[in-house]
Amino acid sequence: MGANRRHRLAAGVGVALLAASTVTACGSSDDGITVNVYKYPQENFQAIVDNCNAKAAGRYKIVYNKLPREADGQREQMVRRLAAEDDSMDVLGLDVTWTAELAEAGWLKEFTGSVKSQVESGTLRTPLETATYEGKLYAAPDNTNVQLLWYRSDLVPKAPTTWDEMITMAEDLVAQGKPGRIVGQGKQYEGLVVLYNTLVNSNGGKIIDESGTKAVVDDKAVEALAALKKLATSKAIDPSFSNAAEDNARLAMENGNAAFQLNWPYVYAAAQKKPDFAKNFKWAPYPAFGGDKSKVTVGGINFAVSAYTRHPDESFDAVLCLRSAENQKLAALKDGVPPTIEAVYDEPEMAEAYPMRDTIKETLKNASVRPRTPAYQNASTVIATVLSPPASIDPKATGDRLRQELQDALDSKGVLP
Amino acid sequence: MAGIGGAETTGKKVGWGLLNAVVVIYALLPVLWIVSLSFKSSATLADGNFIPREWSLENYRNIFSTSEFTRALINSIGIALIATAIAVVFGTMAAYAIARLDFPGKNLLVGVSLLIAMFPQVSLVSPLFEIERSLGLFDTWPGLILPYITFALPLAIYTLSAFFREIPWELEKAAKMDGATPGQAFRRVIAPLAAPGVFTTAILVFIFCWNDFLFAISLTSTEQSRTVPVALSFFTGSSQFEDPAGSIAAAAVVITIPIILFVLFFQRRIVAGLTSGAVKG
Amino acid sequence: MSHATAEKTGAATAEPVAPKKKVALSEGKKAERRLGWLLCAPAALTMVAVTGWPILYSLLLSMQKFDLKFPDRTEWVWFDNYVAVLSSPYWWNAVWVTVVLTVVTVAIELVLGMSLALIMHRALVGRGIVRTTTLIPYGIVTVVAAFSWRFAWTPGTGYLAEALGGEPVLTEKIPALMVVGLAEIWKTTPFMALLLMAGLALVPDDLLKAAAMDGASGWQRFIKITVPIMKPAILVALLFRTLDAFRIFDNLFVLTAGSQGTSSVSMLTYNNLIKGLNLGIGSTMSVLIFIMVAIIAFVFIKLFGTAAPGSDDGGKR
Repeated sequence: MGANRRHRLAAGVGVALLAASTVTACGSSDDGITVNVYKYPQENFQAIVDNCNAKAAGRYKIVYNKLPREADGQREQMVRRLAAEDDSMDVLGLDVTWTAELAEAGWLKEFTGSVKSQVESGTLRTPLETATYEGKLYAAPDNTNVQLLWYRSDLVPKAPTTWDEMITMAEDLVAQGKPGRIVGQGKQYEGLVVLYNTLVNSNGGKIIDESGTKAVVDDKAVEALAALKKLATSKAIDPSFSNAAEDNARLAMENGNAAFQLNWPYVYAAAQKKPDFAKNFKWAPYPAFGGDKSKVTVGGINFAVSAYTRHPDESFDAVLCLRSAENQKLAALKDGVPPTIEAVYDEPEMAEAYPMRDTIKETLKNASVRPRTPAYQNASTVIATVLSPPASIDPKATGDRLRQELQDALDSKGVLP
Repeated sequence: MAGIGGAETTGKKVGWGLLNAVVVIYALLPVLWIVSLSFKSSATLADGNFIPREWSLENYRNIFSTSEFTRALINSIGIALIATAIAVVFGTMAAYAIARLDFPGKNLLVGVSLLIAMFPQVSLVSPLFEIERSLGLFDTWPGLILPYITFALPLAIYTLSAFFREIPWELEKAAKMDGATPGQAFRRVIAPLAAPGVFTTAILVFIFCWNDFLFAISLTSTEQSRTVPVALSFFTGSSQFEDPAGSIAAAAVVITIPIILFVLFFQRRIVAGLTSGAVKG
Repeated sequence: MSHATAEKTGAATAEPVAPKKKVALSEGKKAERRLGWLLCAPAALTMVAVTGWPILYSLLLSMQKFDLKFPDRTEWVWFDNYVAVLSSPYWWNAVWVTVVLTVVTVAIELVLGMSLALIMHRALVGRGIVRTTTLIPYGIVTVVAAFSWRFAWTPGTGYLAEALGGEPVLTEKIPALMVVGLAEIWKTTPFMALLLMAGLALVPDDLLKAAAMDGASGWQRFIKITVPIMKPAILVALLFRTLDAFRIFDNLFVLTAGSQGTSSVSMLTYNNLIKGLNLGIGSTMSVLIFIMVAIIAFVFIKLFGTAAPGSDDGGKR
């Protein structure tokens, strides 16, 4: 059943019943080709779209359609429309974790030939990995992201380099009655998965195997659970850690409650609005765990082309323009999202808006990706659920439970929480 | 209860007044809060104050400046009106037949509509999602109108048959004696008498359709057919890290206006309709 | 519609009902039948088309491995999905959350609703205002009310959160469920009160007055006279509210989206179906919910017999 879902019994019943409503159905304008881009609300993305429309010189017109802010909402909307074979979506701004799922379902067009080589040339390796599934390129990295350690230089003279060092320093500060807390993402959502994935990879562990079909959760991954528990039960942890997403962490530190923050670089731009705070707001590489360098989880957005688009050529062309070096620079400067094209980091203007660019670039070169599996959404939901709240992790038992529930999720036979 | 037969003293009146005040505050508090939020400027939105420190129409301007909300409003109004019209017409016909005519299968129909009134709507979401996808009804107006009619019909049938019970039966008989067919008797005599009941039913059904969230969120995916309750929960805000609470509040107030109007003008009817049908939308 | 019932029960009514004849149907009778069927056809067909086939379809889907993410792996698995769902702790957690929410909210609503009904019934002043304002929670879009509560409980933004010390109540299971319960109670108590008020109107004042003269206290009069007479109305209100509460979705979606183990069965079904795109598991849950609701309805109707709604117009068979 459902193998052939292409056939549409013309919507006879309903349409005949309510012919009136079809009048309101939105139709695309016939005067030229429209390329509909769906992306999260990025403040200055419209300027980039305008650039590309100017460059297209009337061959097509890109329209920016905003998706919800939260990744879950973005995915839910896109996936549902793809499942309904909606041909009005052309270019999709995908979270880096969705490539496998959407490619496996047959909803993305593969990048081939010259488009592929243009995307690949000069693009950082890890972001490119997130756009690849089973050796094929399904998306073009637009922006990438890695978390750094942000700290207050007035409280912390020298940034900690390891996980344990950070916790010790913070506990010492708290013991002295100073606002030395650590803030990060401990809420039951993707942010917690990012944190855990960073710890596991830094420690050389594995959550899911390369094929994306088998749950591993090896000893190193169990050690990462212990590290997460250590943070969550530390005296220095922010009391609302188990409810904190990115912005909660940012606000907690800006309000003077914390000395350490694990977060994305957007917090730097936000901090500049508070000069008193900003002058002591410094960054360092993410603290290492297990090895001597951390392997930080990459985030970011890749552009993919829907399998149901009516204008594939124009869509690929639009993707190349939207992620061009010039436009990536614009996005980096205006919206604070790190570029995926390496050369952009060396542009002179980047130095001022992006004083932490070298740290980001270094981190990116040693970054890690989240498990690449078509069942990522299920896997991620399971990880976030099993790890919540982080303070009640029992490394051994939680690891066993995680392994078992992950396997069910990968086999798509389990129940999503 | 203590008031039975008792004198209406001032003390008692004050007591009742206080009691009434408690009830009114209880009922209005969340509504006033969302109204207050909607008038807060973005700077004071998160100050946690019940009354805005700074009044602003910013949020209303914002929601009416994009199609995100206006389009959803059109969808909500259109879908609710069409579904209401059809459900009330079908419901009136069926309720009349149930109330006035004798035919086999009547009990079955009453039983079926009772079942549907109690039906867990979420049970329909999976199959409807799949069926509408293959029929091309997914994310269209009819795709929402059909389930709305279905779930509004029991409500309509119960409420209407309750009203029809009160219609003077002799008039119809008299009409029939004058040579009218049952059909004519229905159109010329009963229909005008039934109009108030039909109107009440229409309000209740409209509130039901206006209120729906589960079908709307499961069977739509774009502005083409997304209704306001769903659009609310998908509001984007201007950047990734800005909470759209102000826009949500403003849109929430806008879609509450029709409900407030109904309640203010048709309070008596709504109460009568709800209690006679004993069915909630 | 006492027409049909009257014939069956032979109860004396004022309505001029023709006694059923054993002889062949007259032309008029046939025409009446045809008209009856004709008038009911659109409603009946719509209801059956939109619910009947989907229910069967959902049964079929529930016996397949059907994940939209893996369209090629669709196959018949018979009862594997049922095993998966029924052995899942998430499912049972959702069942418990739903049952507890239903029982607690309906119980509180009954008490509050009764008080509200008495206030509306007996109020010496301002009866109109009270009736009008209590209709607002009933009429307001659930999602709107849910957002109002969510903002009210958001630390920093909300007056309730600030009043209670700024704790993020919505991110822990028990407090979050309490907030959800509160939102439900707020929204549906007026409806309960209206149904009960209809019952109160049936209690003859004379009887209460007589009892008062015999020295019965207010509480005694309430328990011994009012409640027994109101019993049918109470049962109807309970039945509808119970089934409605069991379907809780909107408030949960906005307030917690089912995180921290606050999923109701509807929320869990939605998450598996729409978020997970797993039609097999989603449909299995649909079928299970349907069975649970059917059991609840059956128990209520068995317990209360003729008090069930619709029984006065042919529902009792």
